[in-house]
This record gives sequence, C-alpha cells and structure tokens, in this order.
Amino acid sequence: MIGTIRTSGRGGMVAAALARTAQAVLTALAASVIVWALLPLAPGDVATRVLLARGVQEISAAELDATRAELGLNDPLPVQFLHWIGRVVQGDLGQSFTSQAPVTQEILERLPATLILLGLALALSILLSLLLALIAVGYRDGWPDRAIRLYTQIGAALPTFVFALLALTFIVVGLQMGRVLSDASWRAALVPAFIIGLDRAAGWTQLLRAGLLEAMSSGYAEVARARGASRRRILLRHTLPNTALPFLTAIGVSIGALIGGAPLIEAIFTWPGLGAYLLEALSARNYPVIQAYVLIAALSYVTAALLVDLIALALDPRLREPRS
Amino acid sequence: MSLFDLTRPEAPPLAGDRHVLSRLWRHPSGRAGLLAGLALMLFALVGAVWTPHPPDRPDYARALHAPSLSHPFGTDATGRDLLSRAMDGAHRSIGSALVVLGAVFLIGLLVGTTAGLAGGPTDMALMRLTDIAMTLPGLVLAFAVLGLLGPGFVNLLIALIIADWAWYARLARSLSLDARQRPHVIAARMAGIPPWRIVWGHILPGVALRLGIVASLALGGMIGAISGFSFLGLGVQPPRAEWGALLAESRLYFSLAPWLLVAPAGLIFLSVLSANLIGNALRDLASPKEA
Repeated sequence: MIGTIRTSGRGGMVAAALARTAQAVLTALAASVIVWALLPLAPGDVATRVLLARGVQEISAAELDATRAELGLNDPLPVQFLHWIGRVVQGDLGQSFTSQAPVTQEILERLPATLILLGLALALSILLSLLLALIAVGYRDGWPDRAIRLYTQIGAALPTFVFALLALTFIVVGLQMGRVLSDASWRAALVPAFIIGLDRAAGWTQLLRAGLLEAMSSGYAEVARARGASRRRILLRHTLPNTALPFLTAIGVSIGALIGGAPLIEAIFTWPGLGAYLLEALSARNYPVIQAYVLIAALSYVTAALLVDLIALALDPRLREPRS
Repeated sequence: MSLFDLTRPEAPPLAGDRHVLSRLWRHPSGRAGLLAGLALMLFALVGAVWTPHPPDRPDYARALHAPSLSHPFGTDATGRDLLSRAMDGAHRSIGSALVVLGAVFLIGLLVGTTAGLAGGPTDMALMRLTDIAMTLPGLVLAFAVLGLLGPGFVNLLIALIIADWAWYARLARSLSLDARQRPHVIAARMAGIPPWRIVWGHILPGVALRLGIVASLALGGMIGAISGFSFLGLGVQPPRAEWGALLAESRLYFSLAPWLLVAPAGLIFLSVLSANLIGNALRDLASPKEA
C-alpha cells in the first residue's frame, strides 16, 4: 500500500505477536466466563446436587445452608466467578458428582488417550493431504489426479463419523481383523487415527491442490520456468511455500471441529478418552465434568488457533504490517 | 468432514441474482446437485405419510434379513424394514436441519442487518455478543448447551441454533454494510424514499437472498451434524427413526449384516454431496475462470 511505512523486521514481528497473544488471552477469558456460567445456569439447586452426590439421603435445611456457605453460593456472582477461576488456575476443577473424585485427576487419566488419537490423526492428515495434493498437481489431469479428485469429493460428502463407521466395518468384516482393540496405546491408535486422518485430509487436499494450481500459473512460477527450473523444483521450492499459509489457516479452523468431534470419534472406536468421559457425564448430568471438558476444549482451541497464527506471522512478513 | 468446518464459503459465491436457479440448472454439477436434493425432499415427503412397512413395529421372525425385493435394504435386528425406517427418518433428518437453518437464518438476518444498518453502539453491542458466542468451537458449544438442557431432539435443535447463529449474524452484517453502498440504494436515498422502505424494499431482499444461499448450502453439513448427535443418543430418541439413530441402532450388527449401513450412510452421503455439488456450481458461476 502506498504511504504505509513498513515496520522494520523483528520489531514488527514482536508487536504483531504480542497483539495476537493478547487477543487470545481475552478470548480465553470470555470463554471461561461462559464455561463458569454453565454451573449457575444448570437447572436445579447446586448445593442439593452436591449433597446428593456425597451420598446424603435426607437433606436438612441446616445442611443445605452449610453447603451453600461452603461452596460460596451466597456470594455475589462476580465473586463466585473469581473464586472459581482462582481454583481453576490452581488446577482444581471441582468434584465429580458421580464418583466423588477430583475432576482434574479423572481428566488427567483420560487426557493422554485423546491427545494420542487426535495428535496422530492430525499429523497423518497433514502428511496425507500434502502428499496427495503434490501428486495431484504433479500428474495434473492424469489418472492419479482424477482418482484423488474423486477421493476429495467423496471425503467431503461423508461426515467423519459415517466414514469411520464404514471404514471400521470394512476393516473388521473385510480384513477379518476381529475386534479392533483400543487400549489407548500408540499402536492401537494407528488404525483409528489413519481413518480420521483420511477423512480430514479430503478437504485439505482439495484446498491445497487448488492453491498449488493457482500458484503454478502465477508470475513467479512463469519466471522460474523461463529460467529453466524443472517442474518439480517449481512445485516444491516456489509454489508450495506460497500455498502454506491458507493451508495453515484451514488446519487452524479444523482443529476446533476435531476437538468438538472427539466424543463422536471416541464413541465409534470405543476409545477411552475425554470424549467418552464427556458422554458419560452428559447422561448423568455430571455438571463439573461437562464444565471441565468444555473448558479444556475451549482452551486447547484458543491455543491451537494462536499457534497457527503465530506460525503464519513468522512465515509471512506481509502479516506484520499494521492494518490500515 | 463435519459441521462448523471449512465447508462454508467465506462470502456468498453469487451476488444478489434472481436467476440463480435457472443458471444452476444449466451447470452440470449444479443440475446433479439440484436433482439429488429434489429426490431427497421427495423421499422425505413420501416417507412422512406412507412407508411400505410400519417403521416402528418389530417382527422378530424377520430379524436381520438380507436385502430382498420386499425389503430392499434388509431388516434390522428386531425385524423392522430398513427402507421404511429410512423413509420415516428422512423427514426428521431433513426437516430438523431445515428448522435449525431457518432459525439461524432468521436470527442472523435480524441481528446482522440491525447491527449493520444501525451502526454505532448498537452495532458494537451486537457484534461483541457474536464474539462471545464464537469463542467456543461450534460443536463444543453445542455439547455444553446439551449438557445444560439434557439430551433430546428439541434440546439438540436449540443447542445447534445457539451454536450457529452468530456466524450468520456476522455474514448478514457485512452483506448489509455492502448493500448500503450499492448504487440503487444510494439512488433511492437521493430520491427521498423513506428509510424504512429502503431497508424493506432495497436492502433486505438482496441480503436475504445471499444469506439464504449460504444457509441452504449448509443443509448437508447440518444433516450430518444432527445425525452425529443422534448417533450418540443425544438427539432423536428410540424407537423414532432418524438416519444417525439408525446407524447407532444397528452398529453392533454391522459385522454380521453390513448392508444395514447402506441406507442411512448412503442417504447422509447423498444429502451432503448434493449440497457440495450445488456449492461448487455456485463458485464456478461466480468466477467463471477455469476451476
């Protein structure tokens, strides 16, 4: 743009990164207010629920009053929020209504399983879509390209859980693998993660292929071609880095859907992670657990989006310029 | 791919064009998408009033029959005809998605155009509200609301509306801001036409059309999301049929009777595919360069 002064290299980077981080902290705060509000908004009296959960059969008015005071339910709502967030920061997510155990402890037991499955699925889908998009562009309009285009069309039209059910049935029935065990190990995660990755990769392959094709017909690709660069070199050295940014953004957007889809995915693969934990809690109206799940999902989404944007900032100097 | 993902276009692919349907019909992938969508609507309408067998009545003598002439998709573990259940479930799957999208369309149109046209503090307040609604990923917010209200079909629809309206409000706001700058609106203002008539007659129709196109493209994804929640038992409750619930009912038998997958999975696939085909055609029509 004419007239804008380019902020010099590193300074602009730090300022933009700080601004983005501050925005993420604000979002996280807003999200935590929503998450906290789940408990006061929940139908029924909180103190009664807590007492019932503790196994108290007949609740006297005195006990109710004592519990209310203990839980700080007589304080004004903003004070309650501050107390709550103070406890959360110290890692205290309350007590499960059903098992009496601290929610933090139960979450920590199940978190690794979910992280393994989703992390592996994310890594596999990034690898797959990179590979498939490069093949499709490399063999443009040839049979590999056509096959990959068919795959992206089908993948885009199948919800993840339907695709997972189909694939699982095919593996169990077709390949006679019997039960697919899910003991939350890396080994057991491989098949489910591959299935989720294959489904996720469909949209990204489509996006990356379109981006690469557009970049291949751009001016700089033309110049590189005129200077005698091979097609492979143009693809890998010139166009791929330039399409990385929209690809990265798409991944950032999808992470929210991946986290939100975890309960469904874990139900299909009978995976003992956080999603399965949430489903148990939903049917038992175990509010502290629901609250904890939503908080963790929101925070990981905010963090993932922040990371993606910071990487984009590091990659693309144009983003560091102050917005007009 | 699932709901609240990148299937939604950033901006409506076509400007306010009243001949969208006829132009779509002339586009090959648009025509395929329209035909598939029409067939599904017909399937749902017929299924709402008539099915070849009673959809909810078990017949244990006919449990887990393979596809045949009288049961083209086979029968489930309690001997219910799967074609009848898929037909009966169609109006619940498609109808509920239409209800959710209709609601978020109306709320989005109302909030978005109010914010865009009023400007100032009203705009600020409404947009901060959408910011708050969008801090959580859509599916996570839907789970949170379901946790509050408890599982159930109506609660699921409420949860999805709460999870999705803000996105439409933002789009409607930017569309109405854009419409305000259009020559015909400026001309109307200069001609001294009263503001309410400009909004009602010159701004709203265009914004509604473009927002409506985007909302109708989300139909397939919404059907997928609703069937996902019903699959988890959080939406449509048994013995009511719905495509996702059908998958959940018979998933234990898939290794014995894989044909039980065909009807529900195929119908969900077809509805998302039809929306995607129309979406691709719209994108093509908007930028007629080589795709």
